[in-house]
Amino acid sequence: MPSKNSGITRFNSDIFLAMTVNDELWDAIVFGERDNVVRIVQAAVDNEEDVVELLNGTMIPALREVGDQFSAGEVFVPEMLVSAKAMQSAIDIIGPLLSRSGHKPIAKVCIGSVQGDLHDIGKNLVAIMLKGSGFEVDDLGVNCRVDDFEAAVKRGAEVVCLSALLSTTRDAMRPVADHFRDRDEVKVIVGGAVITEEFAEAIGADGFGCDASDAIRAVRECLGLTSIPT
Amino acid sequence: MPMTSRERVLAAINHEEPDRVPLVIGVSNATGIKMHPYRGIKKLIGVQAPDDYIYDWPELGTALIDEATMRRLHSDVRGVLDLEPATVRLQNAHRAPHSDYVDSWGSGQSEIGPDDWYPNVHPIPTATSVADLDAYEGWPDMSDPTRVAHVREAARSLAADNEYAILATPWLLFPFERAHAMQGMDVFLLNMIEHPDFARALLERIGDYCKQLMGRFLQEMGDNIDIIKIGDDLGTQKSLLISPRMYRSFLKPVHADLISFIKERTSAKILFHSDGDVVPLIDDFIEIGVDILNPIQTNAGSMSDLPALKQRFGDNIVFCGGIDTDRVLPLGSVADVRQEVRRVLQTLGPGGGCMIGAVHTVMNDVPPENVLAMVDAVEEFGHYPLQ
Repeated sequence: MPSKNSGITRFNSDIFLAMTVNDELWDAIVFGERDNVVRIVQAAVDNEEDVVELLNGTMIPALREVGDQFSAGEVFVPEMLVSAKAMQSAIDIIGPLLSRSGHKPIAKVCIGSVQGDLHDIGKNLVAIMLKGSGFEVDDLGVNCRVDDFEAAVKRGAEVVCLSALLSTTRDAMRPVADHFRDRDEVKVIVGGAVITEEFAEAIGADGFGCDASDAIRAVRECLGLTSIPT
Repeated sequence: MPMTSRERVLAAINHEEPDRVPLVIGVSNATGIKMHPYRGIKKLIGVQAPDDYIYDWPELGTALIDEATMRRLHSDVRGVLDLEPATVRLQNAHRAPHSDYVDSWGSGQSEIGPDDWYPNVHPIPTATSVADLDAYEGWPDMSDPTRVAHVREAARSLAADNEYAILATPWLLFPFERAHAMQGMDVFLLNMIEHPDFARALLERIGDYCKQLMGRFLQEMGDNIDIIKIGDDLGTQKSLLISPRMYRSFLKPVHADLISFIKERTSAKILFHSDGDVVPLIDDFIEIGVDILNPIQTNAGSMSDLPALKQRFGDNIVFCGGIDTDRVLPLGSVADVRQEVRRVLQTLGPGGGCMIGAVHTVMNDVPPENVLAMVDAVEEFGHYPLQ
């Protein structure tokens, strides 16, 4: 399991400002201690601390650490789920404050499991990772058709994220990729257990995420954003 | 003189080289064929047979393969399965069209589209305590005689023929997967961290029900059984679903208990099914008495290193499966399928301890030509000494 990141200063991934890490919140997110996350974040809000700094300096990199540990095979699905759930609790608290303070999301993205696929655990993880990484997320749920993604784009989504778990449903990604092929302003990112980079290229997707962490990289890259500093 | 299918399988599972590598296809769900490719195969080979389903369960979508097709597929095993209680089958047969299928545990499936059902009915999603488990009134009645009323005669008949190995598969006596069915997968995985005592209690309670049914099933099977299939999906495309430590703490004791229970009642070999990359757990499986590992998902993480698998574990466990259902069977050409069969045969086959089959169910996206190509390649290239 991860060690405590005591006293370190990290660089915010988007604006490259040195920010101080809240060690206690970092650990609470990494270890998925939802009650502690809620307590710490609520206290920060009550004390009128800078929630943008809390988000960018601690919450985002902490969840990214969990994602990286998952990618490296150091933690597994339950640990990832419990951290994501803790992160969601924190976002629920600070989300309205961020909106009121004029904090702008990096971009709006939509995400959904494709038509015929009701699996949503991986899709939900990516959605939380995206929210936690500063994106506004339009979560379309499962069994989503081309029209659902088109409607989300009309609501402002710049990136369409498609998820599929099954070999029998991955082909449902093709019509979505085809639908947006000639629209440069809309990027299509694909991922899920059966999806490979080769498949992503074959259907003409703009990017591929091999897991939740990698999906964030893919979304950022397709928008021309810099890779995340470590 | 060629061996019978049963002799072939028994040699292979005793780590000896039979006349050819046995084929395991068309029996249970994980070794089975979905209805669409089954219809396609029947058409290709000119067989007239009804579109029946294993476990008398259309929503599962897996075909009950007729005997003529089983022979054409060169399958060396035949199955004996249990059934849901007659009342449950009747209730589902007469329910409203497109409504949820619900099984004897209270879990079930929702319809996505034609011939496509998804496990989406979870009866105790909010349970987090033993009291919640006690309060649930939908636990299955494993003493219902209609679950196993057919088993004795089916097993006796196969044994009397003495031609095929008998692979018995009572449905989903898989504690981890059953816990997912009862709560929803993400809910139960969270509970393993947030309510570990409850998660253990649920797994143990499920394990007790599994043993109740397993005991009755094995009693009916008598000595007429060669392999019994149990399992739990523990792997993903890259790694494990849960950590090895969590497996050893939560699930290994439940699996070990079920396997001991079985081994006290039968000399049949234990076939353990788990999708995904489970390499970090294979030593654990061997330790608790697993004899055969299925399905050897060759596109998943370190399971792809077949030479290493054979070298490291081949003396202590039999490999069953190995033909990729993710890319090769659904997307490959007939030539691709033949090449993959040769590769798997040549790697896992030497010395015995190997049975070939598809990695999990042959899904509806697999061309029937590729299924025939797979089984014919085993017949062509699978004879010992392997070339």
